[in-house]
Amino acid sequence: MRELIVYDPTGRIEVEPRPLAPRPSTVAGLRVGVLDNAKWKAGRLLERTVALLDEVGEVRHYRKESFSRNAAPELIARIAAENDLALTAIGD
Amino acid sequence: MQVGELVADPGPNAARVPAGTDLVEWYYERGWSDGLPVVPPTPEKVAATVAALGGEPQRVEARVPPRWGSLSREVLAINAVMAGCRPEYAPVVRAAMVAMCTTHFNLNGIQATTHMAAPLLVVNGPVRRQIGMNCAHNVFGPGNRANATIGRAIRLILLNVGGGRPGELDQSTLGQPGKYTYCIAENEEASPWPPYHVSRGYLPEDSTVFAIAAESPHSVTNHIADDPEGILDSIVSAMSTIAHNNAVSGGSCAVIIGPEHAATIGAHGWTRADVRSYLWMNTKNTFADVSFGHRYGRVYNRNLPRWYRRQPEARIPIVPRPEDIHVFVAGGGAGRFSAFVPGWGHMSSPVLRSLDGRPPPGDGGCEDGTCLL
Repeated sequence: MRELIVYDPTGRIEVEPRPLAPRPSTVAGLRVGVLDNAKWKAGRLLERTVALLDEVGEVRHYRKESFSRNAAPELIARIAAENDLALTAIGD
Repeated sequence: MQVGELVADPGPNAARVPAGTDLVEWYYERGWSDGLPVVPPTPEKVAATVAALGGEPQRVEARVPPRWGSLSREVLAINAVMAGCRPEYAPVVRAAMVAMCTTHFNLNGIQATTHMAAPLLVVNGPVRRQIGMNCAHNVFGPGNRANATIGRAIRLILLNVGGGRPGELDQSTLGQPGKYTYCIAENEEASPWPPYHVSRGYLPEDSTVFAIAAESPHSVTNHIADDPEGILDSIVSAMSTIAHNNAVSGGSCAVIIGPEHAATIGAHGWTRADVRSYLWMNTKNTFADVSFGHRYGRVYNRNLPRWYRRQPEARIPIVPRPEDIHVFVAGGGAGRFSAFVPGWGHMSSPVLRSLDGRPPPGDGGCEDGTCLL
């Protein structure tokens, strides 16, 4: 049978998706890294969110250089090394 | 096209469907369109376009965010054919994609943002004439195959390979018409100045593609002024609003000077650098304007450079440096019009590349100005 050739224009995805880290069941006593993404109201949103966390341990604050650009790999590594969990948010 | 046994191995991206299938509808059904009908790619057209890129169909030229699909030469060719490109347009499409997938262009953000930003391409050098691009009348409008289909090929790649589907990974509130196609060429022949790419250190015989994340063009009318200041004051007026993204996010923008305006400005001996310095110096936004006089709470605005004075009367330039205003000459010979093209903001740096992928020689190690970030 005569056939027509068609093409998939999407290209392969060759990057591996990373699974989310396991979620803790409580924040009590955990070190929390708060990453401000530098959006207009992100700081305020994060501040109020942290206030809602019960018995949270030490809280450290970090800031991205630009809300739209990726956080620098060194910054991500530092947040991971210094904390048990990280909190971030967008806030226009 | 009916191929029967003629094509034994059409490649990893190909499949076969029964003869008689309505191919335009077949591509629509899979969502592989910008909303307009696509040209169904044939093995011959894909092969010719791959050949124009230097062969090696599976060689990956870029990975396109946010989906991070691999843009092999064959996939680029498939999208270019679907957009209606002739094979000889493909090197321009490739240079644009290489420029746009440079980290500091931040295509990931441009694709996903709620803003209406679309990549605007400006082509310089001999390739404009070789492939018949329009740099004159109606330069931002319809009527030229190369301009229309190169810009459309970019969009199809952003949709198909980059996954920038509206409402999914593309979260733009409004979008804009330039998201269909947004590709012009500089009218080097009508310009009183060296071509834009020469001003960045390339040779006149080099061909380049400039990419900037941009809003729609804002027309600037001035039929009165017979001096540079008067013409540029009209452009200053278009720039001096708090509505565009540069006002609150800095970054970069483009100004397209129409040939009549350019002739007047050039006749007074003003250079391209004079034009952008005058524009940079004279925009009128103040910190009170961009902070709404603190009516909605005290504003610092971390998206503007830290060295801007935050006093109410302080003038806030729309971009941090004169060099962040990219000045081109384009348009038809009659009509005293120019255009201001606001950018997206500091989140993206415009990128200029030659067709063979070389960064601007004149940037002296500060490629695309990124050492200042």
